[in-house]
Amino acid sequence: MKQVQVHPERCVGCMQCMLACATAHSQTKKLFSAVNESPLPKPRIHVGAGLFHEGFPNRCHHCDPAPCMLACLPGAIFRDPDTGTVLIDPDLCINCASCAMACPFGVLRYHQDWAAPPAKTIAQKCDNCLDRQHIGLVPACVEVCKTGALTFEESDAALKRKTHEVACAIASGLEQQPLIPMGVELLRATKKQRSHLQC
Amino acid sequence: MSSKYEVHTITKDGQLLLQKMEQDQVETVWDRLATQDPQCGYCEMGLSCRICAMGPCRVDPFGEGPQQGVCGADADIIVARNLGRMIAGGAAAHSDHGRDLVEVLAEVAAGRAPGYSIADEEKLLKVAREYGIDTAGRKILEIAGELAVALQEEFGTRKGYLTMANRAPEKRGEIWKKAGITPRGIDRETSEMMHRTHIGVDNGWQSLLLHGLRNALSDGWGGSMIATEVSDILFGTPKPSPNLVNIGVLQENEVNIVVHGHNPVVSEKVMEACESTDMVKLARDKGAKGINLVGVCCTGTELLMRHGIPMAGNFLMSELIIGTGAVEMMIVDYQCIMPSLGAAIAPHYHTKMVSTSDKARFPGMEHREFHPDNAAELARQLVREAIENFDQRGEIYLPVQPTPSVGGFSVEAIIEALGGTPQPLIDAITAGKIRGAVGVVGCNNPKIKHDYGHVTLTKRLIENDYLVVDTGCASFANAKAGLKVAEAIKSAGPGLREVCGSLGIPPVLNMGSCVDNVRILMLASALANALQVDICDLPLAGAAPEWFTEKAISIGTYFVASGVYTVLGPMPPITGSMNIVNLLTSGLDDVVGATFAVEADPEKAALLIQRHIETKRKSLGLSYREL
Repeated sequence: MKQVQVHPERCVGCMQCMLACATAHSQTKKLFSAVNESPLPKPRIHVGAGLFHEGFPNRCHHCDPAPCMLACLPGAIFRDPDTGTVLIDPDLCINCASCAMACPFGVLRYHQDWAAPPAKTIAQKCDNCLDRQHIGLVPACVEVCKTGALTFEESDAALKRKTHEVACAIASGLEQQPLIPMGVELLRATKKQRSHLQC
Repeated sequence: MSSKYEVHTITKDGQLLLQKMEQDQVETVWDRLATQDPQCGYCEMGLSCRICAMGPCRVDPFGEGPQQGVCGADADIIVARNLGRMIAGGAAAHSDHGRDLVEVLAEVAAGRAPGYSIADEEKLLKVAREYGIDTAGRKILEIAGELAVALQEEFGTRKGYLTMANRAPEKRGEIWKKAGITPRGIDRETSEMMHRTHIGVDNGWQSLLLHGLRNALSDGWGGSMIATEVSDILFGTPKPSPNLVNIGVLQENEVNIVVHGHNPVVSEKVMEACESTDMVKLARDKGAKGINLVGVCCTGTELLMRHGIPMAGNFLMSELIIGTGAVEMMIVDYQCIMPSLGAAIAPHYHTKMVSTSDKARFPGMEHREFHPDNAAELARQLVREAIENFDQRGEIYLPVQPTPSVGGFSVEAIIEALGGTPQPLIDAITAGKIRGAVGVVGCNNPKIKHDYGHVTLTKRLIENDYLVVDTGCASFANAKAGLKVAEAIKSAGPGLREVCGSLGIPPVLNMGSCVDNVRILMLASALANALQVDICDLPLAGAAPEWFTEKAISIGTYFVASGVYTVLGPMPPITGSMNIVNLLTSGLDDVVGATFAVEADPEKAALLIQRHIETKRKSLGLSYREL
């Protein structure tokens, strides 16, 4: 089963994934019109800043077992049997925030949504863009991520690739491409130094 | 771990005001920076392009995503175009500032600017002679009129060079000619940069950067130099005078008026209005003890340099100053004025915000436009309104005492302090008592702890016998740190202490506003000419430890193109192209005899600068230190 894989070392913090996610979960699916919708569509992926101002795309892991699902008193959170995706039924959600308390990754948000009953605030989180997947598209966040910080692939394949990269990086006496390009390293080094100087 | 206010600024007044603003629930620039975190990596690396509508485009620095924009521009081209446009933006800002002053000069000459006059006839005559204007036996205003036309002509000149660039050492001019970067007109180079960076024009990253040097030179030896010289002609060439700095200069029982921005055309008239007896009487009638005019940013610097007007703070203090609750009116012109001031800060207090320039508007500010013909009267009207606002004051918070400082070190004033020639300075450098001179300049950037970069670097340099000259926001950081009084020589090394002590000057000399960085160029040229060498041969360096504006990029670039090794604190958006990083930090040495360096830690920047200067001393056959 393909999943969205996060490669934080490649995130440059551009937040394109957030814009694309909000657009994909809007009524009109177009950025231009989505910003005029009411309620305003919101992203379900969030880019945080690390210790050194580096970006990190934080999204639902669709855990199994899922703490949010176990904590959901009205039973609004359920798992899609075909894809393993953890979903929320907007009609059943009572906005109690139990799921947020249970979630170790802090990915739950509460707001109104065009697909929920009008004026009802409900829990929202990543739905793996199932609507898009049904028509052959990859999740919106993956589509816009140009640095490869978000990929849509089998986790086995992603891990294998990662293993290969690490193996190459530590192989001695061999010429290889550095894992992180020089310009990126340089920027990160200056940001890290900046953070130290702020203390 | 220091307190969260100490993380933001090293200044006591800044820390206390930040605490107060938080209690007042007013967001500041630091809060807004936090909400932007993380900032976009493509933009930080210079890899995003919004120049045409096929885009926006971005190049994946990891090499897997797109490596070209829609037009085919690669990382080198995109980074070079973006940097080129930053230089053009900075050069345009400085040069337009210069143009405004020349317009006032023209109006004065035509008798259409009541209240303005020629304050320094000697400088007027000197500059007029440089432009080949006959001065013998002619009326001053007639010469002023002719000079104004000649200066206006520099913006679009057809003669192929800038007259003031002739002030550079001969060898420098030859280097520019050889590299094809002699500036040919002020507006021309900025306009050509916009042309070259248009889609489908100059796609050679090297040629784009070379034009960037030429564009910056048109600022340093053109627009900025005209701004400084004409300001001196109109308002007087600065002379050393004592003043006070930091938030403590605001007065508890007086009407406080703050001028902020960059252009002295407005602030000079406001100052006159504040000093007029009927206005002072009006203030007293209103229950105030008097009228207190203070400055922020470079408009403040212009007044401090010429009149000793106190300075409340630099760029990052501009919001906090309003937070004292003690400011009746803030009058702004242009550049570095945060739109938050009128929209988000002032509404929490009683401060009246007024914008004055035909080309600058700010939300939440009342727009009252100054022109040479109405300036004197409008200034009086504004001061009157500020006085009327005095009784609207709520509680005020002025928690610190002001720090004394000395400003006003124009090139003329420095030469005068040296006894009429640069020789004593040259002798002190030759003898090794002063190792060299460093221009510590530039802005505040909330990404660097406020004033930490400027003050730390300056302290390290002077304690090792390097003379520091400073301008702009850097100059107020150093003044607030107490480095600008004669007694500050106790913080200097033995050689610098001896020389400054005998001359009665501080080890850190305030040379003015950011436009006045050209004074440093002129001083460097004077030294180079006296020794018959090029600027790049001298034991000099520049640093902008906390820069953030496009103007700072232009300044840094004209420093390097003029032969001065320049260390930047914050990284410019260029790391998307290592070709460009390498060219700017080493390759330029072959072209103009100087390079950039980037070092956010001022302790390490001080070492880089010392090493550079000692290397130059070695090449000149002078005593040198191994570092």
